[in-house]
Amino acid sequence: MAAKSKVDQAVFLDPRAALLLLVFVTVVVFTQQSFYLELALVTALVGLFLCCGLFISGMKFILVFGFLLALQYYIFPAAPKIFADFFAILTAYSRKVFPCLMIGTFIVKTAPVRYLILAMRKWRFPQKLVIPLSVTIRYFPAIREEIGHIRDAMKLRKVTGAARFEAVLVPLMFSAVNTADELGAAAVTRGIENPAPKTSVIDPAAGRSDGKS
Amino acid sequence: MSTTLAVTSRKLKGKDLITIGIFSAIYFVINFIFMLLGGLHPIMWILMPGFIALFTGVPYMILASKVQKSGAVLIMGFITGLIYYVTGMFTVVILITFASACVLAELIRLATKYKSFTGNAISFAVFSVGMIGSPLPIWLFKDSFFAQISKQGMSADYLSVLSSVATDGMLVVMVLAPAVLGIIGALIAKGLFKKHFAKAGIV
Repeated sequence: MAAKSKVDQAVFLDPRAALLLLVFVTVVVFTQQSFYLELALVTALVGLFLCCGLFISGMKFILVFGFLLALQYYIFPAAPKIFADFFAILTAYSRKVFPCLMIGTFIVKTAPVRYLILAMRKWRFPQKLVIPLSVTIRYFPAIREEIGHIRDAMKLRKVTGAARFEAVLVPLMFSAVNTADELGAAAVTRGIENPAPKTSVIDPAAGRSDGKS
Repeated sequence: MSTTLAVTSRKLKGKDLITIGIFSAIYFVINFIFMLLGGLHPIMWILMPGFIALFTGVPYMILASKVQKSGAVLIMGFITGLIYYVTGMFTVVILITFASACVLAELIRLATKYKSFTGNAISFAVFSVGMIGSPLPIWLFKDSFFAQISKQGMSADYLSVLSSVATDGMLVVMVLAPAVLGIIGALIAKGLFKKHFAKAGIV
């Protein structure tokens, strides 16, 4: 039950604290089997959500968790076999990783990317990991945009079947290679290869609320 | 340009790091789509590593040919793992299988000097097998899994489905599928290279 006291009264968690919390919860989830501990963990995490002002997603998690429980205990035994076949394993599995998913959502909702990156720098992650990671995270919206353009172009030319796969992937690769070239040139001009430590506007001191977790 | 760089230096430069980052994003997106599809049915889940292998061949092979230096695959694996881990979707089991597959894939690339197609294809097959950690808990925690659900008063049907899926035969299928489909994925990539990318001078 240690988890409960650990996450009380948090207002804003440093991403580092949240990451540590994630490690802790993962260990708990995979070593413990008790149903009550699971319940306590989820309750505590919902508490954390509420403290940080994430009322809506906290409520959503409660609903989803209740739904999963209801599925497992009441609906599956009564449901037709084919239905249970489809969702039984999925439900059991998602219940198992539920607390991890909650923290994951928590991190995504509360910590801006630059804080995460800064946290990793503070932990002395090598630059070789931090740079590609920040590029990756920021490239996701670009992929969506790109696929939108490709879809529009495909509609004009009526591409169907297996050709669609090729028609999406090839332009995506081309634009990725070009972006890599351009971004690479821009980043080198701005001194990405400078060995000196990077500076930042934000000072990520471990605050009062971090200590409690 | 990248080939001349590779001859002069084996260290990762700023540009290489950005290339790795971008291709990791593409790899992750494809991976994620199949991860979601895997939630539809247990069979889809078990075959998921295979599907991922089939469809991520192209980005992997392009990355392997653009960045012919050690560490590219390792960083890509690290990023994928970290994003999945931070969003709470990776369990400890898959972290272990994924990490060891990345290290092996990187070693194969090192041994085959980064340029050979066969070497890269094999390293991709090994890399793909790393994803088996996702459905693996069905087998690993089989006993506790069964004990837990029978305690909950689950119907016999439920148990029979689970045990029919979690057989040794399926385990073999699950492990072999990504390896075989990974090679096929690499061959598809090779075909596309010839058809499109070589002409444009990208690889």
